[in-house]
Amino acid sequence: MSKNERLALEFGATVIPHAVFLGVFLGLWEYAVRVGWLDSIFFGQPSGIASFLWANLIQSASLWKEMGWTVFGTFSSFVLGSIAAILTGLLFVMMPRLERFLDPYLTAFNAMPRIALVPLFILWFGLGVASKIAIGVTLTFFIVLSSTIAGMRGLNQDHVVLTRTLGARPAQMFAYVTLPGAIPVIFSGLRLGLLYAMLGVVGGEIIAAEHGLGQSLAYLGSTFNMNGVMALLLILSVLGMTVTGIMTYVEKRLLHWQ
Amino acid sequence: MAMVQRLQFPGETASIKSVGKPMSEDVAIEVQDLEVSFGNRKVIDGVSLQIPKEQLVSIVGPSGCGKTTVLNLLAGLVDVPRKGKLLVGNKSPRLGDDRIAYMLARDSLLPWRTTLQNACYGMQIRGVPAKLREERARDLLGRVGLAGFENVYPKQLSHGMRQRCALARTFALDAPYLLMDEPFGALDAQTKLTLEELLVELWQQERRTVMFITHDLAEAIAISDRVIVMSARPGRIAGNFAIDLPRPRNIRSLQKEPHFHELYAQIWGVLEDGWRHSDV
Repeated sequence: MSKNERLALEFGATVIPHAVFLGVFLGLWEYAVRVGWLDSIFFGQPSGIASFLWANLIQSASLWKEMGWTVFGTFSSFVLGSIAAILTGLLFVMMPRLERFLDPYLTAFNAMPRIALVPLFILWFGLGVASKIAIGVTLTFFIVLSSTIAGMRGLNQDHVVLTRTLGARPAQMFAYVTLPGAIPVIFSGLRLGLLYAMLGVVGGEIIAAEHGLGQSLAYLGSTFNMNGVMALLLILSVLGMTVTGIMTYVEKRLLHWQ
Repeated sequence: MAMVQRLQFPGETASIKSVGKPMSEDVAIEVQDLEVSFGNRKVIDGVSLQIPKEQLVSIVGPSGCGKTTVLNLLAGLVDVPRKGKLLVGNKSPRLGDDRIAYMLARDSLLPWRTTLQNACYGMQIRGVPAKLREERARDLLGRVGLAGFENVYPKQLSHGMRQRCALARTFALDAPYLLMDEPFGALDAQTKLTLEELLVELWQQERRTVMFITHDLAEAIAISDRVIVMSARPGRIAGNFAIDLPRPRNIRSLQKEPHFHELYAQIWGVLEDGWRHSDV
């Protein structure tokens, strides 16, 4: 058996069971709606979802535009929140007393359900994307902050001792030991932070927005367009997986030494 | 620079016979009447020792005898209240002194750097120009037997190979004083022998002063010009022995040498005494 044949067989062995499972699941769903076991007002139906996707993703670009807003909001809050968190983490590691002082306030803020801030942020930053970014930032910030601190605290002390005996300046210590040593841990925070940024943005959009997938979802839900709601849930899940996939790729490239 | 009569060749017998003090201008590292207390517990009590220039001197002693503390004080790594005098090349210890190269028990290679980049690391921190440090690192990697592994990351190297790379990083520094804290303590017996041979070989080529901390007496005798024994709690000097085994030595075949065993028995007696009299 050649290598290609073997690969093809393996591929078939993993894909075929899923294809069969999904085929049966969607088929039953469709059948159940058609014979009246399920109410399409509440559950939608696969053919309806497909035609909704066809109409809004392929025939017109309307959903792509909404997705653009959501993606823009997610990445903006991720980037802003992460940078702020990494800088704060660095400051805390350099000034442990500051961290100890601020800790109760940060814990209290972090304990608050962030969605509860939406009304406030909408008042401050408006109905547009800025208020969604603000929510995303508050979520991303805390996750990345705690992983940054953990990463920088958990350095291999041998590296630190060696570097000190070499007479490293603080900037050298940071660039050669602290940052590269903390990156693996920071990355696990970044991966989670990105998903939470999306959560914050979509959540904000659902509550009140002009654009975005969350806003579309809320509108479709309120007009009982279940096919549209299901289609959007599918899109959000694919979007989430894509975003994590990108993160994994970047991580692999950056941490190829692991 | 004053040369010391150090290298012994086959046929010659003794190195430095007397246990007395070497001439002061030949002293590279000196500790005098060192006393260190942690809280009100005295951990080092009146330690004095001298390491002549370009010699390889081992400090042996049970754990807790303060040998590592002495080394770390000389490296400027710990700053504890102390009495007595410490001199490295006629100067007080200073952290980051570029006349000192320090080597730890674990390889402490940076996992995100390749072998070559790790061998360059010390020189990079100390500001050696890029071209020069690469040249020097490649040369040393060749000498420690890592030619061909320059672009490999530490996780792909065995323990022995990693410690070879650490040796290359240490010797690549243009530092006359090498402070080593049980550098081969974590290796298996066979790898340890190989690394000991390698260390002695590099040291003979490079003519550095080495202070070598170990708890392995056989290792200390095999590689050293002199073995200083410390006893525990509080740490004191229990003995100071010249090792008059001729150089170059074949470390692997020392086990067959009666004089090696005589030295071992003699020094072991003192080490054991130190345990018996320690107030543990």
